[in-house]
Amino acid sequence: MTTRRKIEISEFRILAAPLVAFLVLFLGFPAVVNLVYSVSEVSFETLRRPALSGFGNFAAVLGDAAFWRASWFSFRFGLLTAVIECGLGLFLAIFLSPLIEKRSWLLAILMMPLMVAPALVGLMYRLVLHEFVGPVPYYLWAYLGASISFLGAGSAFWTLVAIETLQWTPFALLLFYMAYQAIPAEVNEAATLDGAGGLQRLRHIELPLMRPTIVVALLIRFIDGFRVFDNVYVLTGSGPGGSTASLSIYIYEAFFKQGAIGKAVAASVILFAVSFAVLYGLNAIAARRKGKGR
Amino acid sequence: MRHSTMKIRALYAACMLSLFTGPALAEVTVLGWPGGPEEVALRAAADAYNAKADLADADKVELLFFNRDGFWDKLQADLAAGSTAFDINLLATYSIGRYAPFMEPIALSDEAKAVYGDSVLATMQYQGEQYGVPTDLSLHFMYYRKDLIDALLNDDAAKAKYAEIAEKHLGKKLEPKQPDAWDWDDYTATALYFTQAVNPDSPTRYGTVLQMKNLLFNIMVWQSLPRAYGADWRDDGGKITVNSDAYRKGLEVYKLLYDAGATPRDSLSYEFAEANAAYASGQVAAMLQWNAAAGDLTSTEKSPAVAEVTDTVAPPSGPAGRFTHIHGLGFGLNKNAENKDGAVRFLKWLSSKEAALIYARNNGAPALTPEVVAEVAGERPDLVKLGEFAGKYGYVMNGGTSAKALSVYELQAKEFTGYWSGQQSLDDALANTEKGMADLLKE
Repeated sequence: MTTRRKIEISEFRILAAPLVAFLVLFLGFPAVVNLVYSVSEVSFETLRRPALSGFGNFAAVLGDAAFWRASWFSFRFGLLTAVIECGLGLFLAIFLSPLIEKRSWLLAILMMPLMVAPALVGLMYRLVLHEFVGPVPYYLWAYLGASISFLGAGSAFWTLVAIETLQWTPFALLLFYMAYQAIPAEVNEAATLDGAGGLQRLRHIELPLMRPTIVVALLIRFIDGFRVFDNVYVLTGSGPGGSTASLSIYIYEAFFKQGAIGKAVAASVILFAVSFAVLYGLNAIAARRKGKGR
Repeated sequence: MRHSTMKIRALYAACMLSLFTGPALAEVTVLGWPGGPEEVALRAAADAYNAKADLADADKVELLFFNRDGFWDKLQADLAAGSTAFDINLLATYSIGRYAPFMEPIALSDEAKAVYGDSVLATMQYQGEQYGVPTDLSLHFMYYRKDLIDALLNDDAAKAKYAEIAEKHLGKKLEPKQPDAWDWDDYTATALYFTQAVNPDSPTRYGTVLQMKNLLFNIMVWQSLPRAYGADWRDDGGKITVNSDAYRKGLEVYKLLYDAGATPRDSLSYEFAEANAAYASGQVAAMLQWNAAAGDLTSTEKSPAVAEVTDTVAPPSGPAGRFTHIHGLGFGLNKNAENKDGAVRFLKWLSSKEAALIYARNNGAPALTPEVVAEVAGERPDLVKLGEFAGKYGYVMNGGTSAKALSVYELQAKEFTGYWSGQQSLDDALANTEKGMADLLKE
């Protein structure tokens, strides 16, 4: 090894030390504690002296119908909101692009829903959708003589999807607008000269060039939707019979409401393992595609 | 001066400064319930206590408040971690068993029994020990529109319609009565009569508003119904008794009202605030609600549509009697208190008649015996009913102060809302609840 290489390694170690210390302290330690708790019988009284009990907590979680129901809710919610938000965001980014180019302040207004904390959004819609104080049911009663049950057992899921979409579509719009603006004008001009119409340019040039951004946006929105907690919890709690409990709500309720700390932590460990496997797989696919592209 | 000596002196000065800038002026720290009438009342009581001439500076009381959101979870974590940040902490009837391992039983003043009475003191007891001073009591009133009921009672055609609706939905003809004489069938029949989906001539859109959100507090509101039919969580032998006719009846009444449209369709997401808003709109004839709503619902400023025509009585009765769920907020002693003697002295004073009257005069809601409440009846007429109902109709379910009481309420909320929303059968809801409670309440 050359002297220069040795110096580089030494510098790398020194520079990386604070980051490593931070990760060990704030991620490593809780992760180890979580792993211990997940295989222990532990309560608030015995937080400092958990008794190892094997994999019973994992069995309890995997055998709990509420866990699978919450997993299905999270998956469905994450997938639907990601697809709808990205679809709407993409459409708006392209459709409004000429307008935003001329009046950039419009973008600031469109971004406003992002400024509101999700818990406040939940609170806001508790008022907006309330039959006696909310404007939406008020006008429905006034014009139709009846109102929809927005938060009933059959409709709560779709109401939550709509609220999440209304809040986070601007995020997708922002990403797609930036990606759309980054497409070199010459490419489009060349295609136009070759006789390509608007739809053809969109299909064969713009969308392929925006694909990396679309994939990233879908992933980010799916992750955000999958781990949803605050606005759902404020609006419907875990829903009648647990029908709107996401995985985050399931874990929170198991931990704090039922005092089943081992079970809650075991569920979070399973969630971590599955998330890690999925992300690792996606990363591997992306790396392989990158390799093929070269 | 040498540099090292200067550094040591600077460090010493900094340490001394920190001693004087810490919260060392008051020695008994009380963690209270923030942001409501309870805070106002506690502040007044603490001021009165601190103003006592014979109180040592070291025993003066300092109050500590943090946010209501997640209060009980944070308190649980603090107590479990052995926090010494407070000597006295808030506790509630349904959470005593959860916090008792981190607290110490206390001795109340000699006057406490005469001030509060046995049933109210019991809201702060766990396994035969007194863990707190019951400063605020919560129970349920039935709020109703006396103008609507009077009109119904004075109209023969309306009475006939009422009897017809009762026969159709309940299988028996009933006559309208004054609300104080209602049993749960009368409540159900009245709710149906005042529902436009059932009776298009009804002056209100809904006969009642039910709080059916999957939330533990909603089960407390509901459970006085099955209790009137003899329901309890378990018998004296510890056997879980929820899979019973009484629970079945209580669940079916709510289901019937929900399915008939006698309560708003979104009731499955309703809790305290939503129910109040519905009632205050003037589109609801009667509802069961916490006593804490009385101030708003009878205020012409806050509820102009209903304030002057609203009255309150105790919840309806059933074959086993008339009941209202009660639970108290109170103050108890942290096992890790740094100033235990000072804290015990304050708690003893807090349970005296003097403190109870100060608390009552400053927006608190203590349930006082008739003799004591008479002294503040002019200023706080609502406390007269509170004390009367608590003494006559108050109950705590068998197991309602156990370590897992909150979890039992959570379980019931989940299972029963599952039935009300049509996601599972009544048999499944009761069987699941029985099984879950057996796990939670096993000794």
